[in-house]
Amino acid sequence: MNILSALGATIIAQFEALGGYLLFVGKSATAGFLPPYRVRLLLKQMHFVGVESLTIVVITSIFTGMVFAIQAEIGFSQFGANGLIGGIVALSLTRELSPVLTALMVNGRVGSAMAAELGTMRVTEQVDALESMAIDPMQYLVAPRVLASIVMVPALTMIFNVIGLAGCWYVAVQQLQVPEGGFWARIWWFVDEDDVLGGCFKGAVFGFILSSIGCYQGFHTRGGAEGVGRATTRAVVISGVLILTSDYFLTRILAPLSVG
Amino acid sequence: MQTAIQETPGIQITALKKAFGQQQVLDGVDLEVPRGKITVVIGRSGTGKSVLLKHVMGLIVPDSGSVRVGNDLLADLGPRALRNVRFRFGMVFQNAALFDSMDVFENVAFPLREHGIEHGLHPGQQGTPLGTARLRGRAREAAIRERVEGMLAAVGLRDMGYKAVSELSGGMRKRVGLARALVRGPEFLLYDEPTTGLDPIMTAQIDNLIRATQDANPGITSLVISHDMAASFRIADHMAMLYEGKIRMNGTPAEIRSTADPVVRQFIEGRLDGPIPLG
Ligand SMILES: Nc1ncnc2c1ncn2[C@@H]1O[C@H](COP(=O)(O)OP(=O)(O)O)[C@@H](O)[C@H]1O
Ligand SMILES: [Mg+2]
Repeated sequence: MNILSALGATIIAQFEALGGYLLFVGKSATAGFLPPYRVRLLLKQMHFVGVESLTIVVITSIFTGMVFAIQAEIGFSQFGANGLIGGIVALSLTRELSPVLTALMVNGRVGSAMAAELGTMRVTEQVDALESMAIDPMQYLVAPRVLASIVMVPALTMIFNVIGLAGCWYVAVQQLQVPEGGFWARIWWFVDEDDVLGGCFKGAVFGFILSSIGCYQGFHTRGGAEGVGRATTRAVVISGVLILTSDYFLTRILAPLSVG
Repeated sequence: MQTAIQETPGIQITALKKAFGQQQVLDGVDLEVPRGKITVVIGRSGTGKSVLLKHVMGLIVPDSGSVRVGNDLLADLGPRALRNVRFRFGMVFQNAALFDSMDVFENVAFPLREHGIEHGLHPGQQGTPLGTARLRGRAREAAIRERVEGMLAAVGLRDMGYKAVSELSGGMRKRVGLARALVRGPEFLLYDEPTTGLDPIMTAQIDNLIRATQDANPGITSLVISHDMAASFRIADHMAMLYEGKIRMNGTPAEIRSTADPVVRQFIEGRLDGPIPLG
């Protein structure tokens, strides 16, 4: 009986949290579509999410491309099929590795920063101050961050694709002596635009997840510096888990696209 | 116009209750804040003075009871109408609540940039609807600069506009918060401990500013939270003491000073012995 009621309470609490989050998302979407449009704030966030993430995306993508080239060679060399390395790595990058790894890296950098910044603003009453000046914090703080992430994570995913492929090319063609022509031919043969677009779509969804969770956690911070720390950790962990689980469902949805 | 505004009511708080979890912070507060006067609310820290102030602007929604601002009952207002009520307020937060992403100048300029510089210059001067800025470009920027610099000078921060918020002392933050609250000339002014933590000279200067702002604009309404007794007696037209979730006493400074209520006496005299439990 006790276990049942405890379980019930937990489930209700989870649904309440989910409801609170969905309401938050709905409010920020409404606020984002209504004027005044905060173009300057949007550009600032796009710079923060996109431009300032370039270094980590470049470094992770080039090494990911190189590592996967080495791993693919281990398998394919047994069949004398080294020419397939480029195609397989390109397919993995565009469909999975670029969106997921980009999102996880951006989550660590940007999702945490959003939670910490909004959390600090909450506990130092800056959010109250905005409201007291008749400014909707949803519109001023949340909408630009979410929108910027929805736009910039796919853009970073594209960059991850290109530079990851360059890393793969360096290992495959320069070090493993895969013929240049075959390398590229297999890529064009394996990868089509649906793969690339599907990966970008995933990036957009992941961008939405990491920014909305980061803002939600920050916005509902309680209890001083300790609370900000808790909100930041939760934002990164919850977003990370959601990115990886939603990836499975997104892949299921997108799969028919490139089969046909 | 001016007289019409002066005849409308100020702020009316009725049977306000608010609990956070188990803690009943406000337990039936009744308080009338008359227009055209300075009302000072005193009380120990942690009694819910800040919580009370946030109710007045609808930043916190009460469990029960009501707040009436002018002729508007806050609970009846939709988001748009609530926004229009908040347009008429300026609030000084206890810890200033400055935007740390902006420098001092931009903090004070923020309400002007958001809501326009032409409007809200104290009741009686609100000739045009809020939110439609007529000045453009360089003229607008110059007008903003002039207003902000005048405001900074009034709080003793001349030429400090370039400073980052993180470089300011607590007292300077407080004064920037005051400048930001006053810059659009609001009709209702809420001050949450505006002088706590300031030196005695600066305290006197801020008290003078609060008094002078009120006296220069008879249509406005000031609600000040304080536990500085000397200053409260100096600036208040009306005083009220918040104690254990209720208004314990309400009257003119002279009435408060001469009261026989042991709780009020103990508080204004700052004695350890008396009915107020220590802790
Ligand atoms: N948002 C909140 N959540 C929970 N408790 C709060 C909140 N705001 C204030 N309190 C509690 O209400 C009480 C009154 O706080 P406050 O109004 O800040 O006191 P003061 O009279 O010093 O301004 C305190 O015990 C505080 O912990
Ligand atoms: Mg307080």
